Amino acid sequence: MRVLVVEDDRMIAQGLERALRQDGYAVDGVADGRSATSALRTAAFDLVLLDLGLPERDGLEVLRELRGRGDPTPVIIVTARDDVPNRIAGLDAGADDYIVKPFDLDEVAARMRSVLRRAAGRGDPCIRHRGITLDPVTHTVERDGTPVVLSAHEFSVLEALMQRPGSVLSRAQLEDRLYGWGGSVESNAIEVYVHGLRRKLGNDAIRTLRGVGYFVPKEP
Amino acid sequence: MSIRARLLIALLALVAAISILAGTLTYRRVLAETSTLFDYQLRQMALSLRSQIPMAPRLELPPDQADSDFVIQIWDVYGTRVYFSRPGLPLINATALGFADVRVGGERWRTYGLQTLDGVIQIAQPVRVREALARGAALRVVIPLLLLLPLLGAAVVGVVGSGLRPLRRVASEVQRRDVRSLTPIAAAPLPQEIAPLVNELNRLLTRLDAAFQAQRAFVADAAHELRSPLTALRLELQLLDRASDAPARLEARTNLGAAVERAIHLVEQLLTLARNEPREAVADLSPIALEEPVAEGIADTHALAAAHGIELSLESESRPVRARGEREALRTLVRNLVDNAIRHTPPGGRVRVRIRACPPDTGGEHRALLEVADSGPGIPPADRERAFDRFYRRASAPEGGSGLGLAIVKAIADRHAAQLRLGDAPEGGLLVSVTFPAFGEYPRSA
Repeated sequence: MRVLVVEDDRMIAQGLERALRQDGYAVDGVADGRSATSALRTAAFDLVLLDLGLPERDGLEVLRELRGRGDPTPVIIVTARDDVPNRIAGLDAGADDYIVKPFDLDEVAARMRSVLRRAAGRGDPCIRHRGITLDPVTHTVERDGTPVVLSAHEFSVLEALMQRPGSVLSRAQLEDRLYGWGGSVESNAIEVYVHGLRRKLGNDAIRTLRGVGYFVPKEP
Repeated sequence: MSIRARLLIALLALVAAISILAGTLTYRRVLAETSTLFDYQLRQMALSLRSQIPMAPRLELPPDQADSDFVIQIWDVYGTRVYFSRPGLPLINATALGFADVRVGGERWRTYGLQTLDGVIQIAQPVRVREALARGAALRVVIPLLLLLPLLGAAVVGVVGSGLRPLRRVASEVQRRDVRSLTPIAAAPLPQEIAPLVNELNRLLTRLDAAFQAQRAFVADAAHELRSPLTALRLELQLLDRASDAPARLEARTNLGAAVERAIHLVEQLLTLARNEPREAVADLSPIALEEPVAEGIADTHALAAAHGIELSLESESRPVRARGEREALRTLVRNLVDNAIRHTPPGGRVRVRIRACPPDTGGEHRALLEVADSGPGIPPADRERAFDRFYRRASAPEGGSGLGLAIVKAIADRHAAQLRLGDAPEGGLLVSVTFPAFGEYPRSA
């Protein structure tokens, strides 16, 4: 899961990014509205945490521009503006959720999961597909009722692929989701994780579309 | 005492005094006029009697039947009274020629004696008659005036009541005002006498309103701005809880410490700002040498300059530069200016503080001038106006600032009636100049 944190307060941004990485997200951070817009134009994110009071360009403008382009990327506003008119303006501008500072990390994490779940069109917090059950809260995976132990990276790859069964993710897309910008990736890292997943979950759990990428097959 | 009662008493007393004066004057005037007339009549009577007497030397004139005030006596050459018109009266024996005032038996008389060939004719009249005439005339003047008094009183009550109606309206308008509604009072047609009061009141209301709004905005801003350091604090605390190994714990502890320092800094700056507002210029500042607070302010920031690798210098004149000021506030002003300059200047740069006495363009007294220049990036002219706003931070602002430094500087400068200007420093960065008024230019104490 790749998350963009738009926050001009460096202390908060750093703390938030550290916490999200601990939760297994790939995190990118920008500190002003203009950089946020250009980041959102050039890369795909699974979720955006957006501050409103930003230098250069207000967070609401960033959000309106994003929605104006028809981009449905889930956005959670994280701001110090706690008054009702601002909350309404934020949600009406296209935000999926609104969190007021000072926030609780666990609550932010829970709201992120909830927004991601809804974005994927699921009501069930767990992702179930072809006998595999993936729980984003506890980071556990079961195969036909039996727990399977995965590394953090293997889990992230599996989670990304299981979000939309049938759609193909390229190696570069998977790398982005795992590391964000600037993360140093070994050239065959993704192949290693996919190999590990196949070993633990069965060979047909993840399929390869040669030259394009990987996907989880739809229901047979 | 109410204006109405005071006016009523004053007017009634005035009318009473005028009545008494008018009565007295009329009395005296009428008395003088009747005296002249009656004197003339006395003389005419005497003269007409003289012309009749020779034709009837022993005229047996009947005693006066008419109820006349005049009393006639005639004496012959031997001094024997030959005629007395009012035999019952004990009248003057000794006769004076010409006019005379005589007192007989408690009554004052006016007499006229005339020498004739056969003796003396004397006509007398009681002064009481003249006085009664004068008294009557005086009363005829005074009584209508006195009858007018109650009418006048009623009129005063009515006129004063209607005259004070605008005042009552203003009073009830003022009563409706409170902290939440300090709108000016309608200047609708007001009497000239009340208009200045209402204008001053409106000016006060406007100032109060501005002050309350500023206060509310300050509290709202402060509450908003406190959220960021508190968010950082809570975040770091939760990260500390989550930290599973020693290095992570150490990092979280360090960050938590920084977050606490930041919150403390913001609270301190907020307090400093609150202490230095409201921004009304204070006139009762005592003269001090600027060198002292400036040197103290620089000493406060010395460690920060060293940590940032900034060369910090002070240039001053051989003679002390004096201005009116509060030492501790000026030290805070300098500390904030220098702190700001250091934070915006890249390592290896310079921050220069300068104090001098500046000769004014128009002659006259010298003004004290304080300048802080740095070799940082400066502030583009378009952003300079907003630079003094509370919590205004430009995108390129360095970490750890509260956004209050220049707002504090502005509040202190305003309190000292000093002019604050942002410009370009010769070093390439920002030049902040604070010009204090000359000693003769200070605003008078309000």
